[in-house]
Amino acid sequence: MWYNKCVDLLTVSVTARESAGEPYTLVEIAGEADVTNTDELRRLLDEEVSQEPRTMIIDLSGLRFMDSSALHALLRVNRSLDRQGGVLALVAPQAAVAKILRLTTADRLIPVFDSVAEAAAG
Amino acid sequence: MAWHGKTGPRAPVARAPAATEALTRQPVSRPDGGGLLPPLDDAPGDSMSYAYTTDLAAIRAVVHRYAIKAGLTETRAIDLVLAVSEVAANTIRHAKSPGSLKIWYDTDEIVCQIHDDGIISDPLAGRRRPSLEAMGGHGLWIVYQICDEVELCSDETGTTIRLHMELPR
Repeated sequence: MWYNKCVDLLTVSVTARESAGEPYTLVEIAGEADVTNTDELRRLLDEEVSQEPRTMIIDLSGLRFMDSSALHALLRVNRSLDRQGGVLALVAPQAAVAKILRLTTADRLIPVFDSVAEAAAG
Repeated sequence: MAWHGKTGPRAPVARAPAATEALTRQPVSRPDGGGLLPPLDDAPGDSMSYAYTTDLAAIRAVVHRYAIKAGLTETRAIDLVLAVSEVAANTIRHAKSPGSLKIWYDTDEIVCQIHDDGIISDPLAGRRRPSLEAMGGHGLWIVYQICDEVELCSDETGTTIRLHMELPR
């Protein structure tokens, strides 16, 4: 059996928000993130990082799967924001995503919250 | 030079008759120098077989379906999907032709075997924990962490990785 169907599996949407007068960038990543779409993910995230947000919140609740190359894209954002004096927070990873974050201890480097509201307040 | 590594928290289980058959073949040196292991025996004839190029999502769906059918818990099925996806991602990164995936299971375990024409030259690839600062190298390490047993065989013709997950009793 052959599989070579290429589907656009990943949706990324970005909105500027505010919590108690503090602006933050909300990035929602949905679908499946793997080596086949990491370049695109990295490009979109880099674009947001270049706006130098003080706080970036990535909502992972719609992400069904993430592999190590997508994880590296997130670690790269964390590093860049850190250098710029900003912070990154992750929100509501599903089981498969939570697993790779825990296994690699990335969840000790980047704070993970249950909801966007909590992340914005934290 | 061909080499063959095998790892896992449990002792290797002889799977007769296939394993016995394999012992008659030319053994190769173990990467850790700890004696000789036979090369990988053939996959069972009734294994499910898939070829893949870049559609990893389809491969993940297939693995998840068989994992549940074989009797893995949802948590372990998710783990196996991640492990297979990481290995298949390496095919996309390093191999020049499509990879192949074979899946089979019995009452004890489910096995996913991935083969491609990429060559892994470092027998200890994936055995050391990569730093989070590193921009790569987590894939194979994750595979070793997740699976109950990993068999890896690489030579000039390509790489075969066999991932074993024990089924709940």
